[in-house]
Amino acid sequence: MLTIASTITEQELITRLMKKDQSALDYLYNRYSGALYGVVLRILKKEEPAEEVLQDVFLKIWDKIENYDPNKGKLFTWMINIARNQAIDKTRSKENSKIKKTDDIDFLVHKIDSQQNSQLEVDSIGLKEVLMKLPVDQFFIVNQLYLQGYTQSEVAEEFNIPLGTVKTRLRLAMIELRTLLNIK
Amino acid sequence: MNIKEYISTGVLEAYACGQLSQDEINEVEKNLALYSELSKELSIIEETNAALAQHFAITPRARVKEKLFTQINNAPASKIISLASHSTKYWRYATAASIAFAMLSSYLAFNYWSRWKQSETTLVSLISKNQQIAQDYNTVNQRLDLMELDFKIASNPDFARVVMKGTPNAPQALASVYWNSASKEVYLNIQNLKQLSKENQYQLWAIIDGKPVDCGIFDWQLAGLLKMKNAYKIPTTFAVTIEARGGKPSPTLETIQVAGNMLTI
Repeated sequence: MLTIASTITEQELITRLMKKDQSALDYLYNRYSGALYGVVLRILKKEEPAEEVLQDVFLKIWDKIENYDPNKGKLFTWMINIARNQAIDKTRSKENSKIKKTDDIDFLVHKIDSQQNSQLEVDSIGLKEVLMKLPVDQFFIVNQLYLQGYTQSEVAEEFNIPLGTVKTRLRLAMIELRTLLNIK
Repeated sequence: MNIKEYISTGVLEAYACGQLSQDEINEVEKNLALYSELSKELSIIEETNAALAQHFAITPRARVKEKLFTQINNAPASKIISLASHSTKYWRYATAASIAFAMLSSYLAFNYWSRWKQSETTLVSLISKNQQIAQDYNTVNQRLDLMELDFKIASNPDFARVVMKGTPNAPQALASVYWNSASKEVYLNIQNLKQLSKENQYQLWAIIDGKPVDCGIFDWQLAGLLKMKNAYKIPTTFAVTIEARGGKPSPTLETIQVAGNMLTI
């Protein structure tokens, strides 16, 4: 397998993926698997199903790279959405029906803490600390969307919050997080 | 259109997360093409999402990557199919063999069961036949004993036989008495006596010194010799009357059935 220089352009990466160049997948995995696994594990809360989903996500990226349209967004955005959707699908499959979507964040963090991966622990605590700095209404929305695997319209319906309010609160939370995490 | 207001609705965030309906997506994409500020904002949003995801990345275990690449490398369809068909074949043979074995076993089991059942039935019938034979043997043995005894009496010179013939009351009737002059024993043998009602019985009398002496009662159906009461002294005559069940101390002479005189010795 050829190794790829530490940075390549997104366009080149996509082209190589379309040619079924495994070194491109290797690069993609090394660079994004952690981020995608975080997304998936936060929704699924269990390592086994999260690992299965992560594998499926990369298989889907590998098989369906032709479906990616650069005009509609960045590659990573496309990948995150695949990961999120696959994880949500999994929570709704019978296999994961035992996990309640209404688990609160402390319970979630406790659950993740109790797992053996110390890396996991640090990341989860980091996330909790950051999210706790958000105003309560924004924290609630982020929690439901990113950690409980709800869609925006489901949050609106379930908690009787106008969909527009869900959207604006998320936007405010993202702006807040940008500042908190020093992005840009 | 007020761009800032449009952005502040959070519609671009929803778009980036793939949370919009197809109509809304079409509208957003139309606006993105029209306003470069929107594209810029979307870029920032996407970068924020990416940065958030990277910031909160969790390293998956190494086996996930191994599995992923194994799966991709094993993907060629022919390989999977040949593997599958091979194992299918194996299972087909294994199943066929198991079914055949199960059927054979069932057949043998049933066969042996039937035989065993048959043997059991035969054994039961043999045992019952054996019991029947043993019973018959005992019966025959007892009868033989009786006959031997009868024979001994008949052939014993001490016994005198008195034939009692039918009286006008019962001309066809016939019976005999064996009397032992030494031991004084009396045995009765019925040749032909009519059936009596349940209320009545026959009674044997010995006439001694001109007086009737009770020698016992008996029922009409008898095989072989029946031991009666001893008759002491020397009876001259034996006779049988019909009396009420249980007998009487003196005979009812009107009912006399048979009678016979002892031959003078």
